Amino acid sequence: MIEDNTQPAPIIELSGVTKEYRTKATFFSKGYTNVMAMDNISLTLQRGEIFGLVGQSGSGKTTLGRLLLKLESPTKGIMKFNGKPINDLKGKDLKTYRSKVQMIFQDPYQSLNPHLSIAETILEPLIVNKIGDIHSRKEKVIETLDTVSLAPGKEYYDRFPHQLSGGQRQRVAIARAIVLDPEFIVADEPTSMLDATIAIQLFKLLQQIRKKYNMTFLFITHNLAAAQFLCDRIAVIHDGVIVETGPTDRVIQQPEHPYTKKLIQAQPKFNF
Amino acid sequence: MTLLQVENLSVGYKTKKGILHAVNDISFTLEQGRSLGFVGESGCGKTTIGMTLMGLLPENAVITQGAIHFNGSNLLHFKDEQWRNFRGKGISMVFQAAMNALNPVIRVDEQIMEAIEVHSPDIPKTEIYKQVKNLFNMVQISEDRLRDYPHQYSGGMKQRAIIAMALACNPKLIIADEPTTALDVIVQDQILQEIKKIKKALNTSVIFISHDIAVVADVCEDICVMYGGQIVEKGKREEVFKSPRHPYTKTLLASYLSLDSDKNIKVLEIQKPPDLITLTGGCRFADSCKHKSKNCENHTPGWVDLSPTHQAFCFEDILNKDNND
Repeated sequence: MIEDNTQPAPIIELSGVTKEYRTKATFFSKGYTNVMAMDNISLTLQRGEIFGLVGQSGSGKTTLGRLLLKLESPTKGIMKFNGKPINDLKGKDLKTYRSKVQMIFQDPYQSLNPHLSIAETILEPLIVNKIGDIHSRKEKVIETLDTVSLAPGKEYYDRFPHQLSGGQRQRVAIARAIVLDPEFIVADEPTSMLDATIAIQLFKLLQQIRKKYNMTFLFITHNLAAAQFLCDRIAVIHDGVIVETGPTDRVIQQPEHPYTKKLIQAQPKFNF
Repeated sequence: MTLLQVENLSVGYKTKKGILHAVNDISFTLEQGRSLGFVGESGCGKTTIGMTLMGLLPENAVITQGAIHFNGSNLLHFKDEQWRNFRGKGISMVFQAAMNALNPVIRVDEQIMEAIEVHSPDIPKTEIYKQVKNLFNMVQISEDRLRDYPHQYSGGMKQRAIIAMALACNPKLIIADEPTTALDVIVQDQILQEIKKIKKALNTSVIFISHDIAVVADVCEDICVMYGGQIVEKGKREEVFKSPRHPYTKTLLASYLSLDSDKNIKVLEIQKPPDLITLTGGCRFADSCKHKSKNCENHTPGWVDLSPTHQAFCFEDILNKDNND
């Protein structure tokens, strides 16, 4: 991939990142085998862009998200955040990194703690990172709730997840992710559990947030149409290998790799 | 031949706050060999319809009115024993969570054999095994995978095995409730083509329930669009999706993202879904409808015929107004 030299330094830079999982040897099996989840992946994400990672289940797209969050370490390769390597972050540095990088998970029914009220859910990152005092935290939570269109924030403050719909829960998850003003957010299939009408509202919300805070998003999805709607650039991943990268419209209108073509072919369409 | 006729069916769930009217006054018919799709968002009552047809409603459900005529008998008069014989043979169902629908400690072939054995105890085992092999051929799982356990299957293969099981007793009607929701697009496409092929080959009727309109449009010849427990528009697929008339159907189609979608599509924001416990007399979609008038809040809409096969549950003046813009 040819990068334009005039562009500012990328926020995320992966070079030659490989992740292997080793299956356990059990009593019956002949020993362990290595499963290559990601094979020699190189990517750069520019600040403020929404980058889509598109692929089937098992293609390694979630693994990439987990690596970027430092939930796992790569077997090989270098990962850089704002120009600094993050492979070996530990202790305080890791905590700082994690406050700048946040995650929105797929299933809002499982990613929110049912025992915590909405306020407690969103306060937690602030408390953990010792930001502000009781009053400023409360203000920040209400402000964030307003940002994700759970307005007025006061009304949702003391509610619990079970009192909210799926779309509202996902908004809470987004609020929790943005409350620390992170620089980079990994969104792993954030709307695949939601109805089309709700999904599109969330896409609009993500676009607003990106614009307002100049945040960078990695949007992981199997839905090409959603990626086309939301993303500036996409990468198509297949069996742990990135087969095609480029501006979204170019990749979808003039796919070069046979797998991309297959993926486009399989999208449900209204042809009858 | 009419296989299934549902008349004015209403189903509610008892809750602490009162009865939740999940399905309200629904009528539709299904001919032998045809496919009917129910589309709508979560909570619109589409799964409740499927469960009612299978006699699998939970304890707290009440059928408040209506009749379901299937092949000459009213299913709502069935006793438990009759239901047991009927399920699988009359109507069978493909459930949403294919991953959890198979028993993890029993080999796949045995699970399918069991389904046949229960319904026809007289057939010898070798004959049954032959049938299982045929079913596997039909859903395109190779025979050497017959003796596998479910965990050895991929998601798509599990869903194929479930379809094979649903076909085991030659049902007249298959209800597929979101059968591809957990699968990715490429596998989804394969399963949908499979369902269409089987329907054609066996002349089975299919009821297809999904929130994904493109999936329903792919498989079904007739469409019912549901909102808040009611059918709001029904007709042939071409009519409903190419010339939608109900404001909700239009909203639903407008929010569907396809590769041809305009990036600047304007999305009609759907307000809170209607409260199905305390029902008001008016139209349930009124709060989100851009053509709302006083009339909509106070009067119940009625069925308006748009063509002999195409109807919408709305007011005539609104349907005409909406068609002009």
